[in-house]
Amino acid sequence: MFSRRFDMGVKVGGAIIGAVAAVVFLIVFFGFRNDVADVGYRPEQPVPFSHKLHAGEMQIHCQYCHAGAEVSAHSPVPTSQTCMNCHMAVTPKDEVQEAKIKVLKDAYEANRPIEWVRIHKVPDYAHFNHSRHIRAQIDCQSCHGPIEQMGVVSQYKPLTMGWCLDCHRSPEKFIVGARPISGVFTGKLHDMKNLYDSAYIFTPIPAQVGESLPITEPQFGSYETAIPPVTVAGIPHPKKAGIGPENCSACHY
Amino acid sequence: MNARNIILILIGLAAAGFVALVLSGKIMWFSTEPPVEINPNMDLQFKAIPQSGNTFFSDRKSLREPVEGTVPRGAEPYTLGVGDIDIAETANVDPNLPDTEFVLARGQNRFNTFCSPCHYYDGNSEKSQMTKRRWENIPSLMADQAKGYSNARIFHIISAGQGLMPSYADKMNATDRWAVVRYLRHMQGVTGTASAAPTTQAQ
Repeated sequence: MFSRRFDMGVKVGGAIIGAVAAVVFLIVFFGFRNDVADVGYRPEQPVPFSHKLHAGEMQIHCQYCHAGAEVSAHSPVPTSQTCMNCHMAVTPKDEVQEAKIKVLKDAYEANRPIEWVRIHKVPDYAHFNHSRHIRAQIDCQSCHGPIEQMGVVSQYKPLTMGWCLDCHRSPEKFIVGARPISGVFTGKLHDMKNLYDSAYIFTPIPAQVGESLPITEPQFGSYETAIPPVTVAGIPHPKKAGIGPENCSACHY
Repeated sequence: MNARNIILILIGLAAAGFVALVLSGKIMWFSTEPPVEINPNMDLQFKAIPQSGNTFFSDRKSLREPVEGTVPRGAEPYTLGVGDIDIAETANVDPNLPDTEFVLARGQNRFNTFCSPCHYYDGNSEKSQMTKRRWENIPSLMADQAKGYSNARIFHIISAGQGLMPSYADKMNATDRWAVVRYLRHMQGVTGTASAAPTTQAQ
């Protein structure tokens, strides 16, 4: 009926089409999932700002520029005014630096915002709140990765719902160690290495040690009461503190 | 099975493993292009989110400026200018935050965050990054001149700025600024009220 050659063609062609379909399915099904596609997004910014220089070498604390992250849902990108706090007086080293700073100064003088490209973005139907996480003693690097080593910032964690829930269910696996010494807490950036440098550690006044409250982030607006720390073996434990809700309406409201 | 086949099989396995690792997200793939979403899933909705562009307004900003003559709810604007030192002495009433470990820790947190880039963690300004980066003669907070200032004067300098120092009223609320004053006084070893301002409770 059919020639041997046609029969062979059908078989080989079917195999090739099947293989291509399988590869396309694999790529579409896995390759474009948010945890694969979003991680490593490293756009070019209008000003080539380096976190490695500012946060890593100069040890400027995150909240100097991202002030408001601990009191609001949104962690703000700094205004040009914040940049100019230093850059109005710091003189650039050479022409290359001067050209980079010029974009900033022009925008500042024209009263026009710099259009930074957004990298980290949860979907619009999910509500992530920075202040709640900072008050739960979770530091920035847990979600944003080693920002202080990034010359150009890229997304480091997938920011998917599964990734959120992993940590809400068992934070002790993902939130590394104790947080009172993290930068969020003392205002000194990643001061783990300076932990034993007594100059940077607050020493309480002896007469007040007995009656003093434990050092925790204050509830904002109130200086009377501290959030009672729930600790496991001396380490503040977010899960035991009742933080990390798993109900849908915690994030989707 | 000869050696050539074994090599081919190994290459095939390595390629399959690489593809599997990339597809499962174990290998980070840097890209300057925004991620492609085959199914948009209503991830991006037409609404104003903070600090985003917005085509609804002519200046394309989502964040709106307050209407002239109004103050946002909860805002604590600091109305005095840089030169109003005399007014500041009486206008800034020290709330006398209790000198507890808790308040000092909060003051330390804010001081290390906002003050240390110029004045360093010990307040001496000599080892700070800004001094290293060709900004000379940042005043030391441990000098006798700074120790002699009243609490209200220091609060005024933090809030309104002085010389090249900008205002930090937009970054710290008033209570936090008083906590910084409290912490600075603790570091300076100035006890009691060096303040010329009335020491009544603000509440």
